[in-house]
Amino acid sequence: METITITLNGREVSGHPGMTILDLAQESGVDIPTLCHDPHLPPVGACRVCLVEDEHSGALLASCVTPIAPGMVISTQSPRVQERRETIIKLMLASHPDSCAVCDKGNRCQLRKIASDMGIGLVEFQRIPQLATVEEVNPFIERDLSKCILCAKCIRACQELVVEGAIDYIHRGFISKPATLNDLPLEKSECTFCGTCVALCPTGALTEKEKTYRGTTTTIVHTICPFCGCGCGICLEMKDNHLVRAKPDEDSSLNHGTLCVKGSYGYDFVHSPERLTNPMIKVNGSLEAVSWERALGLVADEFKRIKETYGPSSLAVFGSSKCTNEENYLLQRFARCVLGTNNIDNGSRLYSSASRIGLRETIGFPGTTNFLDDIEQSQTILVIGANPTSSAPLVGYAIKRAVRHRGAKLLLIDPQQTKLASWAHLWLRPKVGTDVALINGMAKVIIDEDLLDREYVARKINGFEVLTTGLRRYTLDYVAEITGVLGQDIRHAARLFAEPSRASIVYGNGMTQYVNGMGSVIALANLAMLTGNIGHKGGGIYALQRESNGQGACDMGALPDFLPGYLGLGEGQARKNFEDRWECYLPVDIGLTALEMIDQAREGKIKGMYIVGENPVLSFPQLTLIGQTLASLDFLVVQDMFLTETAKLATVVFPAASFAEKEGTFTNFEGRVQKLRKAFEPTGDSLPDWDIILKLASRMNYPMTYSSPQQAMDEVEEVVAMYQGNGYTDVEIKSQHRAEFDSSPLATGNIRKRQFPNGFGRFSSVEYIPQRENSGDEYPFTLLAGTTLYQFGTGSRSSRASRLRKFSSEAFVEISKPDAKSLGINHGDKVKVVSSIDEVTAAAKVSDAVSQGIIFMPMSFPESPINRLFGIVLDPRTKTPVLKTCSVRLERTGNHE
Amino acid sequence: MNEMRERPNLNLARINEIIAHYQDQKWGLIPLLQKIQEEFGYIPPESTQPIAKALGLFPTQVQGVISFYTQLYTKPQGEKVVRVCRGTACHVRGGKTILKLVKQHLGIEEGETTPDYEYTLETVACIGVCALAPNIVIGTNTHGRMNPKKVAQLLGSRKDAEQHARP
Repeated sequence: METITITLNGREVSGHPGMTILDLAQESGVDIPTLCHDPHLPPVGACRVCLVEDEHSGALLASCVTPIAPGMVISTQSPRVQERRETIIKLMLASHPDSCAVCDKGNRCQLRKIASDMGIGLVEFQRIPQLATVEEVNPFIERDLSKCILCAKCIRACQELVVEGAIDYIHRGFISKPATLNDLPLEKSECTFCGTCVALCPTGALTEKEKTYRGTTTTIVHTICPFCGCGCGICLEMKDNHLVRAKPDEDSSLNHGTLCVKGSYGYDFVHSPERLTNPMIKVNGSLEAVSWERALGLVADEFKRIKETYGPSSLAVFGSSKCTNEENYLLQRFARCVLGTNNIDNGSRLYSSASRIGLRETIGFPGTTNFLDDIEQSQTILVIGANPTSSAPLVGYAIKRAVRHRGAKLLLIDPQQTKLASWAHLWLRPKVGTDVALINGMAKVIIDEDLLDREYVARKINGFEVLTTGLRRYTLDYVAEITGVLGQDIRHAARLFAEPSRASIVYGNGMTQYVNGMGSVIALANLAMLTGNIGHKGGGIYALQRESNGQGACDMGALPDFLPGYLGLGEGQARKNFEDRWECYLPVDIGLTALEMIDQAREGKIKGMYIVGENPVLSFPQLTLIGQTLASLDFLVVQDMFLTETAKLATVVFPAASFAEKEGTFTNFEGRVQKLRKAFEPTGDSLPDWDIILKLASRMNYPMTYSSPQQAMDEVEEVVAMYQGNGYTDVEIKSQHRAEFDSSPLATGNIRKRQFPNGFGRFSSVEYIPQRENSGDEYPFTLLAGTTLYQFGTGSRSSRASRLRKFSSEAFVEISKPDAKSLGINHGDKVKVVSSIDEVTAAAKVSDAVSQGIIFMPMSFPESPINRLFGIVLDPRTKTPVLKTCSVRLERTGNHE
Repeated sequence: MNEMRERPNLNLARINEIIAHYQDQKWGLIPLLQKIQEEFGYIPPESTQPIAKALGLFPTQVQGVISFYTQLYTKPQGEKVVRVCRGTACHVRGGKTILKLVKQHLGIEEGETTPDYEYTLETVACIGVCALAPNIVIGTNTHGRMNPKKVAQLLGSRKDAEQHARP
């Protein structure tokens, strides 16, 4: 590559074309102060603090925006530079309050740091009093614009990184300031409180509000956000074994300095007073704290007794898609080797089995085919059955960036008006549950109009004939009738997707939590394969994962039908290898999936269960029944951070450590294996899940000899092909490799290079299966269940995060204006939602976002557990329960007080 | 979130027409804002959202541009804008007193509009006819060599102010 050599402070240094003076100086270890510069933001040269002098011309240049040119002679510390820089800083200080002693930013303030580095004390300029105050009632962000230096970092972060656009400058001159639309408080604006601006603000103008712990950070721990499947890098700032704050990990090549509200402000559940600190045993109906010794002994004895009396298949283990890879690996080994059963499953059964199985059948690979960054190269992005702005905010940011900054076209398919609707080039609103028909219709248009990538299909994919035959009946008229989408719109959508060379598909639980969710996934995979959009830059399939390790838990074999690395139980050699390594006999029969465990427990065939980090009493359908069933077990062990609704039913409760108190790895939805680091010692007597599993195994006379999660991961690397070369100790280096894309030792194999793991992709034809009709007059509404940005999962963690709870504590039911009117329901009224199974209450939210006949409710509110409304209906192939939609009626129960 | 209540008599259809006309133009925002102001006399806050959507901007960006330029108004203006010059020449020849008198006659402060939307009062830095100082401009007519009597003539009984102004 061409290099450019310049003289910097008398020393010759070389850089690449396109580098700025600042880039090169930083690379060469020369410090230039900056205030408005951030590596994640395009430079604007606003603050002028980074001035340097061009010794040839004497010109003072803003180094952050001046590209290097051959022969430049630059001084960063000449007297002129010093003098000007000093003046600039003094002018800023003249209009900045002298409140440093009480400012929360304290020593982290960059303005103060630069001033003190330059020896600037009291300023001789006449002071300009800044009287700005902003009354804000949100619990996340405090704005004190009297401290604002107008560097526009917050504005650029909001517009260019998270693409929310909640703020921009208003007015000009002395009174100009960053403001929301109509200069309203943040909570009345588009702000989503992602905290990106707070992390970037160089002064005390933007600070964190209502912190649970104050103090000057003493250590910073780089780790991974424990919430959704995005796997953002976060920095936990610590003092006295307490989390002071979380910030985006600037080095993460995934989140580029951004986070969402949960990542920034949702972590304080780790210090919740409700954390379990002791093992507990149920005595006469109430749980009593006991020693580890006693609790482990009881569990070991009981498991042994049940296994001996009723056989190993009377025991079942339910692991967590929130636990690390290592923990899931150990847990499945525990189930198979110690208990002797394949009755092991994990929480991702509830949302991602359709992806895992559907994608594996078609493209031969059980997950997302591309890195998130690639999506910004897409010309068209199809978002279907997903609301990434709330369920996977990082993906939402990437999509919006692609649309706004790269001219990508968004094709949105969703019956509900999600936040992305206003970004869509084309938005289709099919009837609920008709996705397969719609996608098939698009595929047929693509084939009929010859918009497919013929060469790719011919060379790489099998079964084209099967597909064309299967699609024969999906004419526009037929599809239009099923879906309620106009034929011309379907054609438009097909062209929009197939005409450009780079198109991506993003889908989420709106696809997978249906009966025949797998069919929808296969139909989408067909669409991607037809157009050659698998694993190339700007073209791929993104299967969103609800939880931080949904992908990893499955990769590790916490599944009833697969050993680690998706090796089948029936594969003789693979089995043998594991048996040799683990020195045990592995059970042969395929075990039970999560809901089948419940079913068998009801029949009395499952006697004992070990539930790790999951809360089925809120996360499964038909909750009343689930609760009764679990309560009726002979022996239930629950391992969790909190006394969840499930833990309350347990005979023994093991207190588990939080994500911040342990080591391990999470595999995010892209397949990126990222390292979790310990920030402080486990609370009370709680222990990391992996440690508990090891201790329990020892008590059951099967010591698993791992001294640390690292050792477990070393073994995983040896036995799981997908994780080979993911060297634990240099995860960081490996993830950099992966970011560089091509030369990568990928957990995700060759799929990123458009190579199918099996050599070929495979088209399958899928049929639209009509849903049961609405049960007439009795249950006239279709309920859609979904996520909300401010809460997470069943709410066991997010409802214990004080600020999230404060901001968004009450479940709501979104209802269309006409429906609200005809039922006499006003905004804020208490409404009872009744299905054929059960009922819940929530506050009505009258809105335009849902169509007539449809209501939307968020999960994640423990007080209004909507899963109660669903009956247990399983997808026949994936055994995923339907948790997305059911028929309900509405009753008003009270007025808004 | 726009907290403004829509004015019942606001011709939103016309605003949308204007937006449609400018939405595919490069750098169309400022001409578009000027056009709306030309027709409506100001830029109704209700138009911020549709303008942003059509031009692929954030509403806050549109607001930023509108608030940056003093020539763009977000409140309805009087039928005639009275601009009192406070340039140096006008100042030394009593411009300040003229401004005070105009305020008295109109019963409003600088930047305000009379309740009947007849007049809006502004000051300007200089209008370039210093030889005639002190000056005021009413609508598009410039009035030089102002004195208290002329102010009274022009704005005293407001309805017939304009006819006195014509030579």
